[in-house]
Amino acid sequence: MISIERLSKTFETARGTSHLALSDISLDVAEGEFVSILGPSGCGKSTLLYIVGGFVNPTSGAVRVKGAAVTGPGPDRGPVFQEFALFPWKTVLGNVMYGLLEQGAPKKIAEDRARALIEMVHLKGYENFYPKELSGGMKQRVAIARTLAYGPSILLMDEPFGALDAHTRTGMQHELLEIWERDRKTVLFVTHSVEEAVFLSDRVVVLTRSPGRIKQIIDIDLARPRRRAALLVDRRYQEYVVEIEKLMDEQVVIPPPKGEGAERSEAGGVSS
Amino acid sequence: MTRISAIPGLPPLIAAAALLALWELAAHTFDISGLPPAHVALREVPVILSDPEALLNILASIRRMLIGFALALSFAIPVGLMMGRARLVAAFFNPLLMIIYPVPKAALMPIIMLWLGVGDASKTLVIFLGVSLPVIYHSYQGARAVEEKMLWSAAAMGMNARARLLRVVFPAALPEIMVGIRTGLVLALITMVTSEMIARKQGVGDILFNALAMAQYETVYATIVIIGLLGFAIDVGFEWLRPRLVGWADPVHEIAVVGST
Repeated sequence: MISIERLSKTFETARGTSHLALSDISLDVAEGEFVSILGPSGCGKSTLLYIVGGFVNPTSGAVRVKGAAVTGPGPDRGPVFQEFALFPWKTVLGNVMYGLLEQGAPKKIAEDRARALIEMVHLKGYENFYPKELSGGMKQRVAIARTLAYGPSILLMDEPFGALDAHTRTGMQHELLEIWERDRKTVLFVTHSVEEAVFLSDRVVVLTRSPGRIKQIIDIDLARPRRRAALLVDRRYQEYVVEIEKLMDEQVVIPPPKGEGAERSEAGGVSS
Repeated sequence: MTRISAIPGLPPLIAAAALLALWELAAHTFDISGLPPAHVALREVPVILSDPEALLNILASIRRMLIGFALALSFAIPVGLMMGRARLVAAFFNPLLMIIYPVPKAALMPIIMLWLGVGDASKTLVIFLGVSLPVIYHSYQGARAVEEKMLWSAAAMGMNARARLLRVVFPAALPEIMVGIRTGLVLALITMVTSEMIARKQGVGDILFNALAMAQYETVYATIVIIGLLGFAIDVGFEWLRPRLVGWADPVHEIAVVGST
């Protein structure tokens, strides 16, 4: 479904030096698979997602979706951002309908589908509210519905629950899994929360600290549908969390101020 | 007991009444011909407004102001938005704006009159310049501040760059653009009067300075009151329109209106 081939990304910094954000990433994601990308902040995990989305160009390497090279954004890959990025001048209904209308759907059909999705994300009754009138969790529900509305086969989620409080966050994780269980879209999910990654994913990709390389890929072999309360006392869930926490722990190495940080942070982690 | 300040519309009325009382008092105290009492000057207001010739002059002024204002918006908003989204466009216009912004537009009037004469064209151009600059500036700032992720979301929906500028950047920047328009309206009124002061052919400014030349001070004051009322009406209209256009936005920090004329 998604094939990431030897991807690297170098940014030019304001100081005129270049910064290697991602180095030699290769990853295949199967159709219907839920894959989390986990790593410390600044490891380039969001950049990886933006490249798959076509919002940022890679320096070298390529991304293929269903065999076709990604050259820009497209409605087959729907993003959900931590910042929600709703259109503040549109109501909840207007936001959710937007992509459908953009895709040329007739107004009546777009509205019916939007209303169904708004109900699915538990926002019935809020159709005519503006984003500024909603809480963070509600905004992210709208953003998810807005992206689902135009029917992307891949969801690209960039720390979608990162701006929410802990309670809202776990609630949203459950809701996301419920939605995902219905049609099993391919999901690429960026997070820095180990528990969130284990709870949601089929596979967890752990990246090293800057520059981001794939450190290890862990298959999460836990039965679905998953319930948080049951998992918390599940021995295997706990082991996954501990194992990945350890992988993350090994990376706490302060990178040098600039230039070649690559070798150093690599040496900091135990090679897998 | 309800506090007086809690009744909407009352505090400004009290302030206006106090100002008139002060004026009246000052006029009687100093008793000079250059400061007629308020009631004498105010009596002139209906006289001017019922004089067909004066009315035509005032309407001609308003017409020029509206044309200059409309032309300015249709030029300044697209330029400002493009500056905000394309570094090249910003690099081209920015130095130009930095030079023109602080120049009092009325100071350009003599040169413009050399090119275009003393008619409508010169005055409309000065109004156009006065309004354009704050609107460009705020459209630029508004477009620059548009969240990248919002544009990415739109791109994923299949919107091309042109559609994004028109239907994402423009509405997203609108609250900031409205701040520029507010400043622009004030400058439109100021440049309207000052342009007529310099190119004396017709208009409110012409009435004012003719009256001054002939020592008809009641008329001078009455004309100033009329200009003030016009500004007040524009402001009321704007404040009526604002929540209808950008009621969805969090209130934009109101920037003090700076006249550069």
